[in-house]
This record gives sequence, C-alpha cells and structure tokens, in this order.
Amino acid sequence: MGVQLLVGTRKGLFTIRGDDERRSFEVQGPYLKGWTINHAVSDPRDGVLYACTNNWVYGGTVHRSDDDGATWERSENLGLPEKSGLKLASTWHLEPGHTTEPGTLWLGGEPAVLFRSEDSGASWEVNEAVLEHETRARWEPGAGGLITHSITLDREDPKKLWIGISAAGVFRTEDGGATWKPANQGTEACFFPENRFPEVGQCVHKVLAHPGRAGRLWQQNHCGVYRSDDSGESWERLDLNGLPSGFGFALALDPSDPDTAFVIPEESAENRVTCDGRIGIYRTTDAGVSWKLIVVEEPAWAAVLREGMSFDDEAVYAGTQSGHVYALRDGEVVEAARHLPPILSVEAAPLQ
Amino acid sequence: MVVVLLPGLLATEAGGQKRFELDAATLNEALRALPVSSLILDERGEVRSLVHVYVDGERERDLAAPLTPAAQVRIVAAIAGG
Repeated sequence: MGVQLLVGTRKGLFTIRGDDERRSFEVQGPYLKGWTINHAVSDPRDGVLYACTNNWVYGGTVHRSDDDGATWERSENLGLPEKSGLKLASTWHLEPGHTTEPGTLWLGGEPAVLFRSEDSGASWEVNEAVLEHETRARWEPGAGGLITHSITLDREDPKKLWIGISAAGVFRTEDGGATWKPANQGTEACFFPENRFPEVGQCVHKVLAHPGRAGRLWQQNHCGVYRSDDSGESWERLDLNGLPSGFGFALALDPSDPDTAFVIPEESAENRVTCDGRIGIYRTTDAGVSWKLIVVEEPAWAAVLREGMSFDDEAVYAGTQSGHVYALRDGEVVEAARHLPPILSVEAAPLQ
Repeated sequence: MVVVLLPGLLATEAGGQKRFELDAATLNEALRALPVSSLILDERGEVRSLVHVYVDGERERDLAAPLTPAAQVRIVAAIAGG
C-alpha cells in the first residue's frame, strides 16, 4: 500500500503520495494558500483531513476536508470565554478522538488551551480544567509561545489522555478531561538555576503514548529524551545512552513495536540545527537502551520541528525547515520533496 | 445597499465572493453579516488588531459607527510578513 504524507508548511498544505516501495513520490498542492499549517492530519476513522490553520492577521482556526483537499470547511466560533481574560492566539495540534467516540476531536492551541469537539469540528468546547489549572501561573512560554502542542490518547480507555504544554510539562487526565494531573516526575527543567525537577515548568517538546502498550510514553524534551512505563508517573532519561544531544523536537514511534522510537537531536538550545553538520535520525529498538544512526549523506544544518516526523511500516519521514522531505530506511534515503516552504508538520497515512 | 469589499484570503474563505451587498445600519451589523465575520472579529466581537476597516475611504475603528445606505466598507489586512 502506498502512503500519503500531509505536509503542513508556513505557506499552505501539501500532500505527497508515495508508491508501495517508497521510492517514487509526487507532490500535490498547495492547499489552503495563505494559511500557516501548524499541523494537519488524516482522521484514521473516516479519512477526513483536518488542518490547524493560522494567519497572522485573521487568527487561528481549523479547516476540514472530506474530499481529500478539494474543498474545505472552516470551524467557526473557536475562542475562549470572556471570564478567562484570554483570547485564542493560534491552533497547534489536532488529535482525532478515540475509536469508540466517532466525531470527537481534540485541539491544542495558544495560550496553553485545549478544546474538544463532538461534531467533527463544527463546534468546539474549551477544556475548563486546563484553562483554570491550579498551576497555570507557573507556566512560562517557550519560543513558540505558551502552547498545547501534544495530545496523545490511551488506545484502550477513552477517558485517559495526556497533553504536552511548553513550558509547563506533561499533564494526564483519567476522567475525560475533568481533571489534569502533572506528570513530570523525573524530567529535568535544566534551564532553571535551582530546583530543576519541579512539579511543573518542564519544557516538553513532544510527548507520544504508544498505541500498543498501555502506560508507555515517549518524550522529547528541551532537556533530554525520556520514556515512561507507568503512564507518566515517572520518567527514565534515555539520551545519555548514545545520542549526541538531548535537545531536539521531533519524535516518532513504531505502532507495531513499543520498544522502537525515532528522534532527531539538535546541537543545543542555543544552536538549533541537526548535529554534526548532517541530518541524522536516531532509532532505538530496545526501548532507549541504545541508539542507531540513520543519516542523510550530505552536508546539512537543518532543523525538523516537533510535528515534522512521522512513521509507517515502510519508512520514517522527516520534513525540514528548509523545505525538504526525506523518506528514510536502513541504508536508503529518498528525497520525497524539495523547495517546499518551511515545513511545520508531516503526518503519514495509508494511501486511500 | 451597503457594499463590503474583501481582500483575497477572506474572499476565498467566503466561497470566492469579494463583494457583498447587504442591509446594515452600523459597521458592526455589516461585519457580522459576512460569512467570514469570525476572521475579522475575535471571540469578544472586537476587530482583530491587524485587520483595518475603512468606510468610504476613511479608517473606522468604532464598530458602532452608523453607515449610510450607500456606504462602502473595505477590509484591509495590515501589510508585513515574509
């Protein structure tokens, strides 16, 4: 089966169709011209496309297409209640809901907000427990703003999910979002002068729950790569097991193997480019005990953002801020696209 | 009829229609009648800070401003970017 990559960029959405062998790719688009696409995803339940669309003049919203991008509908009335004193600044991540809850979507945005829709994005309800969280005063924005950028579901229990907020950390709910508990024990806030293991304030860059093993989470953080086997109650640091840097953004998992994960380390927080002057994706197949390099053999000082990497059974796909998309396997790197606008997100889905 | 003219992106979002003719006694009524009102006005009903509204060629910041029956409202996006 072929693959369809949804590639969100600073200047519209592109799709890339890859053949069965992942050696031939065709770029289509751009769609949603004029919009910055922080994230786009195909809902695995029904194939509907969703894009987190942002424009510096017209604000942030969501677009939806049920005809593979030919036409789009925009979510109306997406905003924050007046009592909060806040306004929605931008939308960052859309997560299709649990398989048992058709039409349900989760949406993360700035300033550190979460929405839920039960009608495929026609209307949205803000999550009050995140909006009014008791620790919110201790949250500080990262370079991208104070953003809810990660939303990851427990595949068994629709009431259980995790969110990642920069720089507040990971939070878990077990009651469908009524309450949220910080889940940061063991993750470092290395930028603090003291108390580097606080309850909240960690700069998580991406958190993903493995769909096949209950309680297993992976996290790329400002200060390391971590794994949890207890639903985020505690975290084990993994980047010291052979990664060139603990700093990075992108993270991808292999749905069929809970011990496999991919990261793209960057040199440092001060110099956010791929390590050693080339694009290097590091893969672990032993739950982070060791890491193996898959490299693009050409000089590059690239960067892959937090949504910029995705995996299917055939390859791992990475899109750079310099507009290149690569499909990588052991010993083989295929350039799937070049000279796109700066890439913000890549999501792989089976070609329909 | 009040005439409202939209810039390109808003016209695309309005189904390709750049020009609207509508009945509106105030600027607020005219903007709320548009299918892209949520892109011009934020969740408080205030004009987004980088959207500029002109009535008969003059910048208008007051949503309560009355419109004459022949008024022309032009929506302009602030110019900048990269």
